[in-house]
Amino acid sequence: MMTQKTDIYQLKNGMTLLGERLEHVLSASFQFLLPAGASLLPEGCCGASTVIADWLFRGAGQRSSRELIQALDRLGIHRNASPSAYHLSLSASLEAGNLSEALDLYADMILRPQLTAEQFELSRQLAVSELQGLDDNPRQKAMILLYENFYPDPFGRPAVGKLDELKGLLFKRTAEIARNIFNPSEVIFSICGNYDFEAVKDQIEKTFDRPSGKGLSAQPPVMKGKNYRHFPTEGAQVHIGIMTPAPLAVSDAYYEMAAAVSILSGSMSSRLFTEVREKRGLCYAVGASYKTMKDHAGIACYAGTTPDKAQQTLDVILDQFRILKNGISDDEIQRAKVGLKTSLIMQSESTYARSSGIAADHFLLGRIRTLDEIREKIEALSVDSVQECLRRHPFEDFTVVTLGPKTVNL
Amino acid sequence: MNFEHRQLDNGLTIIGEVNPNAQSTAVGFFVRTGARDETPEVNGVSHFLEHMLFKGTNALSALEVNNAFDRLGAKFNAFTSEENTVFYAAVLPEYLMDVSSLWMQLMRPSLRDDDFKIEKNVILEEIAMYKDLPQFEVMDQARALHFGSHPCGHSVLGTNESIASLTADQMREYFSRRYAPNNITLACCGNFDFENLCQLAKQHCSGWKTMDTVRKTEDTAGTFQSKHVTNINLVRQHICLLSPAVSMQNPRRYAASLLGQIIGDDSGSRYYWALTEPALAEVASMQCESMDGTGVFYSYICCDPDKTSRVLSTVQELFAELCKNGITEAELEAARNKTLSALTIKCEQPMGRLVSLGFNWVYNQQYRSVKEDVDVVHGVTLDDISNLIEQLNPGKFTMLSLGPKTS
Repeated sequence: MMTQKTDIYQLKNGMTLLGERLEHVLSASFQFLLPAGASLLPEGCCGASTVIADWLFRGAGQRSSRELIQALDRLGIHRNASPSAYHLSLSASLEAGNLSEALDLYADMILRPQLTAEQFELSRQLAVSELQGLDDNPRQKAMILLYENFYPDPFGRPAVGKLDELKGLLFKRTAEIARNIFNPSEVIFSICGNYDFEAVKDQIEKTFDRPSGKGLSAQPPVMKGKNYRHFPTEGAQVHIGIMTPAPLAVSDAYYEMAAAVSILSGSMSSRLFTEVREKRGLCYAVGASYKTMKDHAGIACYAGTTPDKAQQTLDVILDQFRILKNGISDDEIQRAKVGLKTSLIMQSESTYARSSGIAADHFLLGRIRTLDEIREKIEALSVDSVQECLRRHPFEDFTVVTLGPKTVNL
Repeated sequence: MNFEHRQLDNGLTIIGEVNPNAQSTAVGFFVRTGARDETPEVNGVSHFLEHMLFKGTNALSALEVNNAFDRLGAKFNAFTSEENTVFYAAVLPEYLMDVSSLWMQLMRPSLRDDDFKIEKNVILEEIAMYKDLPQFEVMDQARALHFGSHPCGHSVLGTNESIASLTADQMREYFSRRYAPNNITLACCGNFDFENLCQLAKQHCSGWKTMDTVRKTEDTAGTFQSKHVTNINLVRQHICLLSPAVSMQNPRRYAASLLGQIIGDDSGSRYYWALTEPALAEVASMQCESMDGTGVFYSYICCDPDKTSRVLSTVQELFAELCKNGITEAELEAARNKTLSALTIKCEQPMGRLVSLGFNWVYNQQYRSVKEDVDVVHGVTLDDISNLIEQLNPGKFTMLSLGPKTS
């Protein structure tokens, strides 16, 4: 394992800076997590984060929309702006030599966006189009509907928005939200790659030395419990989404649960792939993953299959979830451990994966786990510890969503 | 990093890029076969065969294969295109020999009837899945329209009919012709010992029989037809444009790739300013795809069905302007920098390097270091781009539009 150097620093205004240096790369990746995710938006503004994610790039500081995009492109920045339940995340990967110039541009976008009415309308129209386009991507749509039906409101609200709310979204209200998202005590900046932490720290300290905006506040959650919803569409397949509650990232049971999900669906020797695809040929795509938000978590599963096989597919999957607690083999736990360890080391080679990883750790756990710590936790996993975890957290309640020409029975 | 190269007596090529600083290692078998090497009767066999390799050998069942990969913590998979079938795995360095040995065994699969029957269902499900994804469906149909009778128009997945009627014997026959050692390159990147890998290959692969493996590689201009396909269940209009570009053998492919980026990158490109920024289309992208002896620029645009004709006339104006006035130095510089940063990001991990390393060899029997690629990208001039625009005339294209609109 490579030597790992993690830097943590808190600005006077409360903003958190996290860094991890990699010597052997020529690149760097950074990420701003801004507290403007879908769950924090006021009532009636579902989708505003997606609109803002596009709007911030349409002019900032002295630069017009065109000048800003040209400046970002001239630095060759590979960028992404995407909202989740809690955050609007602005991320960038680039050649390390262009880092300082890039940070200045991001400071403009976050602190001095132009937010003109004309550009707002274009961002809103694009968001409406993208939402409508989901109807032509039933797999993705099924999962968005699944999260909405699984997580307590407002945490399942779709970041892509809802059609009526996006259509009615007003310029002034959205601009007010956008101006208030820089709430430094809730902002996390993370960076990984070949950079100089002192230089980055000084630059951020100078450029982001701003008092807080008002920020957005979360509403109390409304629980949903298990349920089944069908959304009829004409298509070649029935798209099935299944989700069941699981322990939080901060829980003692986190690594055991991660191993259990790996046994269920970590790779091609996993239970779901073997039982659903290899033995029965029911699906091309089937898989499950562990989704952890700060206060809510679950195992989400997707399968797409032709209508006549939908019921059997669902039955086999639910059965596999339920019987996992009845026993796992030593070989399965060994495979899960080496799979988790390999993913960990490979992620440590990617500046983008690590910059996201340390930011997520800080938000979910309040601290950054070292790679050695994670490795030790994985090494300590055993058949007994995973089975004990499954006994304490059995998969019993399922939220199910189907999208397609046929319903299923639970 | 240093490059190594060896060839076994039966023609199997082994190449490696050794980087002792890497934390992981990636290995892959690049088989020079794909949909373009199929006859209509066996359309889809290359891709189906890719699935069947995971079903094991005379000594290993499918479950044993999957268990073996997972015991090594391998991130492994395969993909099939019009002209390549690639099997790969990324592992920690200590597992490289084990995972390579496993792949070497799997390259001589048993192709059992029972496995063939079950996997046929999985392939039919995969075809159904893509039927529900119009962004893929439109590409497939547009390729067929553009290439006409040229084999690069063959569908990779095949059709429900071609797959349903395919027999295991037909697959075995295809396998014996196309998976000959002289048609395969074994590539490896990252932290590993090249000599040891060669020894292992000698042990497992020396018995593979050399065959005559021919491929027709003539170029084609394309048909330049236009077609609207109606599917009233769709909500958006999906448009695909194809026009001639340059082949993998053509040194101008770097310039062509930059031109594709200048016209159709997802931000700051001509398409971005004409279509995405003004919210005429939510997706508008263009890429250059260089292939064996031929190449295409392909664009994908997704928009409101009612805006289709406005989108298409905007595209026509955009290309007319491009052909008249060319591009600016600022556009070229941005495209260069985006390409160069993509290169440095890809180099962070051996898995990111493996595909470039393998394809450079498959197409040109040539090693290109990252540094060489960087230099070539730096060397592309405005004149190079202007000449390409003049010669290729990207405004003349084949068009297929798929959506709820009837015309």
